[in-house]
Amino acid sequence: MNVSQEEAKESLSAVRDATVRTQRAIASAYANPLLILWGMLWIIAYTTTHFYLSYAFHIFTAMAMVGGVGTAVICLVFHSKGPVQETSGPRLGWRIAVFWILLCVYIPIWLFLLAPFSGLQCNAFICTASMFAYVVMGLWFDSRFMIVLGLALTAATLIGFYILRDIYCLWMAIVGGGTILGTGLYIRSKWR
Amino acid sequence: MAQLDNIIHQPVRLQIMSSLISLDQNEQVNFTYLRKLLKLTDGNLGAHLSKLEQAGYVKIDKTFVARKPQTFISATGKGRDAFAGHVAALKEIIQSEQG
Repeated sequence: MNVSQEEAKESLSAVRDATVRTQRAIASAYANPLLILWGMLWIIAYTTTHFYLSYAFHIFTAMAMVGGVGTAVICLVFHSKGPVQETSGPRLGWRIAVFWILLCVYIPIWLFLLAPFSGLQCNAFICTASMFAYVVMGLWFDSRFMIVLGLALTAATLIGFYILRDIYCLWMAIVGGGTILGTGLYIRSKWR
Repeated sequence: MAQLDNIIHQPVRLQIMSSLISLDQNEQVNFTYLRKLLKLTDGNLGAHLSKLEQAGYVKIDKTFVARKPQTFISATGKGRDAFAGHVAALKEIIQSEQG
């Protein structure tokens, strides 16, 4: 078979396009409902906390419960009805679930060990620990987008904690929640 | 020296294989989803998949999900090797003419 240099370049370009399109479409199908859910929860929880600080514990407990159940439902639906299914071999989905469950167990342990702390410290710690998990997920799946999102929100948390203490919750609602929600909406519209 | 693969070189089949290679080895993709992703018709995708299946490059699995018939497609080990060889051959063509 004779293939010219131009034809070879076009073929390799087609390979790259199809590969990127597939990876993004699949990532979009799985990631955007989760990002939209958690973005909305962040915005609601932090905005409410800004105005009703004494109810912070109840608000964030409710957010964690709604988010946890919502995440489980989304994962179960995609596991059974998603466009991509696992055939055999190691169940990656379960390993991811175990990772997040372990993080939910370890965070209270670390908080217990680090006590006493203020509510602000507690919140900033949970945020940065969660964003660390985003970065780990990004490294695991070779996803620059997850790594950048995790690092950007870590930076936003630190800025809010050290510089914008008075409006920390509003800052986290707009910048943190807004970034997560905006990312979800962006990949929903662009990566399909 | 890597060899070009006649079956994979056809543009639509090259796209199909590129998409399937993007998945993990233990993953398979829904036929309808792949058709929409590659903007192909049922008949077109089906015909090219048959060629790839005959060559042993893809596995087509018909099953039921929530009582509805579904078709899932995955790249076989042979298909992954052939695709890697084809891409390597394309790169060699570009490099040889540059060098």
